[in-house]
Amino acid sequence: MHSSISLNISNLWIERGERYLCKDMSFSLSGGDICKINGENGAGKSTLLKIIVGILSPLEGTVYYNGEDVSIHRDLLHQDVLYLGHNSAIKSVFSVAENLRWYFPNASDEAIAYALSVVSLSGYEETPSSQLSAGQKRRITLARLWLTDKPLWLLDEPFTALDVQGVSSLEKRMRDHISNGGLIILTTHQDIDASLNVKEINLTL
Amino acid sequence: MTYFSFTKGELLTLLRRKQDTMNALIFFLMVVILFPLGVSPSPEFLSVAAGGIIWCAASLAILMSVEGMFKEDFNDGCLEQWLVSGLSLPVLILLKVSIHWLIVIVPLLIMAPILAQMLFLPMDIFYVLLQTLILGTPALFLIGTIGSALTVSLRHGAVLMLLIIIPFYLPVIIFSTGAIRAAQSGMLYDGQIAILAAISLASLVVSPIMSAISIKASVS
Repeated sequence: MHSSISLNISNLWIERGERYLCKDMSFSLSGGDICKINGENGAGKSTLLKIIVGILSPLEGTVYYNGEDVSIHRDLLHQDVLYLGHNSAIKSVFSVAENLRWYFPNASDEAIAYALSVVSLSGYEETPSSQLSAGQKRRITLARLWLTDKPLWLLDEPFTALDVQGVSSLEKRMRDHISNGGLIILTTHQDIDASLNVKEINLTL
Repeated sequence: MTYFSFTKGELLTLLRRKQDTMNALIFFLMVVILFPLGVSPSPEFLSVAAGGIIWCAASLAILMSVEGMFKEDFNDGCLEQWLVSGLSLPVLILLKVSIHWLIVIVPLLIMAPILAQMLFLPMDIFYVLLQTLILGTPALFLIGTIGSALTVSLRHGAVLMLLIIIPFYLPVIIFSTGAIRAAQSGMLYDGQIAILAAISLASLVVSPIMSAISIKASVS
């Protein structure tokens, strides 16, 4: 069970080029919430995730994590966050298991084998990542969700490259996570299981 | 991710991607071997020029090695993961540079005695060359890292990186070859060695922080 966490977005203005992606956006989330960011391609969904995690800076506004300004206390957020961006963040010279062990050096062989089995990559442990397709690489990235104990998940298009069974497994993992007090913010074009009580935020072009 | 798993991963990456390191070392070897053939093979000339030849070749080989240091990490999204890992970015950069230095410089130092013999460099002067390489090359790697970090998001950033970095390489090359020339003339060379050590130590402090700022700017 995760300790209580909260994320507050206050008066956020995001600009890209000459265009505002959002104006004066504010919302609050806490442990147990799932928040889905909706929007067409180019609406700024990934940008919003990157601003929340501190990779990008907003034009104006503040992100508070557990009441602390993230732009000042970035380390507090980074200790607690698992961010899966648009890229796989997979090293091609590593095997599949080595990639996971790079992120989770203390994970047991059994835990890694289980995580890979959930994303349909059983038997690929020793396969060099360079020999895998883009979809399979994406699934290695997603396997990290079954190994992490971080309470805050920021997921950029997590359902991409997953088959029906994979989507179902991921939804189950997300349900377990929020029931343990975790918080998830994700972008996806896919409908999510209604039982997850997803909060939605819309970004428009 | 921990500092240990990061270090182990970077070491494994360099050992498995041997061709990058090998290209730099082969380039170093080819320059040193071809120079006498192209200019003059006379022992009198080569023994005087040896320090300069080896240092220029080493500088270019190091430039080749550091140019793409962060490129793949940027392209595959690993740099973003460094930023959100909760680990100190300057420390991660310092670890990466140290591993690169170790993997490139150790073979270069192993080759150095053979090349020094080939260039008729006397043994007592070779020890001075060795000192300059050990004390001067960390500065070249650390300075090169800043250029590599600055240009990581540019598609054709190699030339820009060279233009940014080369002026900062000059003091290191001047003081290294100066120490060797002073030793060849029977003069004291402690001053040049001390300055090389000072440049490397200053780079050790400045480079990881500057590179971290550059990487954050490049990723965003």
